[in-house]
Amino acid sequence: MRGMKIYEARRARDKFAMVLYCGAAVLGIVWLLFILFALVRSGVGGLSLTVFTQNTPPPGSAGGLLNAIVGSLIMTAVGVAIGAPIGLLAGTYLAEYGRGSVLASTVRFINDILLSAPSIVIGLFVYEIMVAPMGHFSGISGAIALAIIVIPVVLRTTEDMLLLVPGALREAGTALGMTRALVINKVAYRAAKAGLVTGMLLAVARVSGETAPLLFTALNNQFFDANLNEPMPSLPVVIYQFALSPYKDWQKLAWAGALLITFAVLALSIFARVLGSRKAAQ
Amino acid sequence: MWEGHYALLQDHDVQSNVREHKSEQTALADPALKIGQMAYAGSSRRAQVLRAFKLRDHIFHGVTFTAAVGVLIILGGVIVSLVQGSMPAIRTFGFGFLAAKTWNPVTGHFGALPAIYGTLVTSIVAIIIAVPIGLGIAVFLTELCPQALKRPVGIAVELLAGIPSIIYGIWGLFVFAPFLQQYVQPYLISLFGPVPGLSALFAGPPYGIGFLTSGFILAIMVLPYIASISRDVFETVPPVLKEAAYGVGCTTSEVVGKVVLPYARVGVIGGIMLALGRALGETMAVTFVIGNSHNISASLFAPGTTISASIANEFTEATSSLYTASLIELGLILFVITFIVLAAARLMLMRIERKAQV
Amino acid sequence: MNSMTPVGIDLRAKISVKNLKFFYGQNQVLKNINMPLFANKVTALIGPSGCGKSTFLRVLNRMYDLYPRQHAEGEVLLDGENILDPKQDLNLLRARVGMVFQKPTPFPMSIYENIAFGIRLYEKLPKSELDGRVETALKGAALWDEVKQKLNASGLSLSGGQQQRLCIARTVAIKPEVILFDEPCSALDPISTAKVEELIDELKNSYTIAIVTHNMQQAARVSEFAAFMYLGELVEFSGTSQLFTSPEQKQTLNYITGRFG
Repeated sequence: MRGMKIYEARRARDKFAMVLYCGAAVLGIVWLLFILFALVRSGVGGLSLTVFTQNTPPPGSAGGLLNAIVGSLIMTAVGVAIGAPIGLLAGTYLAEYGRGSVLASTVRFINDILLSAPSIVIGLFVYEIMVAPMGHFSGISGAIALAIIVIPVVLRTTEDMLLLVPGALREAGTALGMTRALVINKVAYRAAKAGLVTGMLLAVARVSGETAPLLFTALNNQFFDANLNEPMPSLPVVIYQFALSPYKDWQKLAWAGALLITFAVLALSIFARVLGSRKAAQ
Repeated sequence: MWEGHYALLQDHDVQSNVREHKSEQTALADPALKIGQMAYAGSSRRAQVLRAFKLRDHIFHGVTFTAAVGVLIILGGVIVSLVQGSMPAIRTFGFGFLAAKTWNPVTGHFGALPAIYGTLVTSIVAIIIAVPIGLGIAVFLTELCPQALKRPVGIAVELLAGIPSIIYGIWGLFVFAPFLQQYVQPYLISLFGPVPGLSALFAGPPYGIGFLTSGFILAIMVLPYIASISRDVFETVPPVLKEAAYGVGCTTSEVVGKVVLPYARVGVIGGIMLALGRALGETMAVTFVIGNSHNISASLFAPGTTISASIANEFTEATSSLYTASLIELGLILFVITFIVLAAARLMLMRIERKAQV
Repeated sequence: MNSMTPVGIDLRAKISVKNLKFFYGQNQVLKNINMPLFANKVTALIGPSGCGKSTFLRVLNRMYDLYPRQHAEGEVLLDGENILDPKQDLNLLRARVGMVFQKPTPFPMSIYENIAFGIRLYEKLPKSELDGRVETALKGAALWDEVKQKLNASGLSLSGGQQQRLCIARTVAIKPEVILFDEPCSALDPISTAKVEELIDELKNSYTIAIVTHNMQQAARVSEFAAFMYLGELVEFSGTSQLFTSPEQKQTLNYITGRFG
């Protein structure tokens, strides 16, 4: 047939390109496995019961990560408790009340930027508005910094999920004489429930590994302290500090902490995705 | 299918907006309320309940509105507080801050150039590495991948995005940097060393840490963004357009190169800009492997610093108020740069979303 | 088979479809189709929506291969060679069997490139010759006079009817042997439709043509042969005038007289 020579060349080029595309995909997966493998190899050695029962040690002695784990849990919980409702309500405004308005599109635009804004800048912001006036580092300012990171994540998923609720469902509610607020609370939220929970879980996953905004808000604390007005330790900050230290014990604990946090975060995001996709499949 | 949804939603929206306007002007015009009042003219209890509902409706509307405005206030607050915090440095150094190379806490001379340079160089290296791989993954996922593998591969790539940046940092410092130092960097030196022009980029002893290593780590971190956004954008290419290209006898790679990529170009660039925004602001991973020296070097093997790494490293140690203010001004510069990049990215992605809905 | 030779001259089957079955997953949508597509004739496929006529068309250039869980059984012989053979090279097949879609599908490139792109896939021509080929193709699609001033404009800047003729020109430029039209006029206005129909009439001198259409007047106007399909089966295949004036099957009669579909 005509053009066979050109066609042979094209087919060879196609084969070559296919190899590159597949190679890229393999590379992506290999990198993930490479990281997970290194984490397990270096982290498992440091994992023991004492990690969960003892506080972070002074240099050169053994100890655990209890205070850091508890600190992380507290700040994450408080941060999500503050940030998630704001994100939820703002997302509700965008999807339900303000659709098409200039305010809504401005907020959406700014929110999308905040979603990817450098988290260290959020840390600086909270330092300026809380730590500097208060005169000391505190758990609550760490939690506020995390809350500011939670808001855009929850806002975005809330709006997306509410937009997926069929308009007919809202009309059905309205036709029963329900007010807008009732329709949203009783119909739209319920219809979008799985998606909204997914958004929260993703937000938790996102902030539980955040380090930069905590460095100069919550700082760190070598002791166990649930007081939000005091400096508070967190797993990521402890990992940062210990990993860069010259002490072998500390480095070992840093790896153990890294392993813990990675698997917690990955488990959360897989769970969130499964929940989200099951909803989408319905 | 989505288009249908949107149309439905928008339609509903128009109707309910109209309804809302009416109810704000004259509460009695609300049809549901009117009928309610006629039927239960005598029942004041019913009217009371309705009034309570109305009130709650207004309150809820107000609360959600406040929350939405709150997002704008946060942005404003960030800008105002950063400007305020950096005032001492701005007053002392003026615009010279941007161009000065010295960073000396002892003498109190601060210049942002090395940090800005490091931020740009590491991010550019990251984008150069991540774009081809990310696009390759996206093509694999949309055009080649067997159905059964689609979800696992997609999830694996998205999990890469979920790993906290501190993990990339610790992995980068203890595992990846030694690997680069031992295997990759000597190879690059022998490869590019004799090439004029490029030799300066790959000069000097391979320390393991520095611009190149940071760029590599950043590349791995932003890869999932490029891959998943490109995949989403590729999926907006109408199947019939691809069929038409296959219909004239195109191979898969020709369909990708001539139809899918040109069609999705704006969105892909948007995705790359978004990844660039992330890379510019990324802190922890870079802090571990950049080397933290305020130093401008042509060699990618040299240690340097980035804006975010300087802040993370030095902020709690900054003793003088000028030092602190200089670090905050660095943060302000970073915020402005990333804001511009991210805003451009969003505008481009919005364009492709609108195109997909038509 | 005597009813199938209304034109009276000798007919050669360019494509012979034998015992074709087609499945979407477990779902069988084509049941044992047997029919020829005669060389240099226009064959119209008619029938109510969902009867399988578009699916049938997409078997002829194996477009269904792009999607998982779709497969065909039986034989489709193109000049005696079974194109359902797994060893069949799909790119080459599609260069021989061109397709024009329901909606115009100009590629995201200039008018000139839309045509030249396809030619370059198989031939390496000097610029002047390529220009000539593009011009011939555009003239063949009755589009040349409308676009000769703006060959570098985007293909998307044309009107719907012009876009569709651009797509026809693009298909013709590759010099296929068979052209499949999948409701090519359903998105066009009457004037553009008339132009495309005229074009099809001219194209049959050089190509074998199959056209899926919802519009029975159109089928009557452009085709010499017609196939009526219903629920995945080929109910009747014969000369177009015979199918429309004295169909042998009751279902065909009901459909063409508008009693269902």
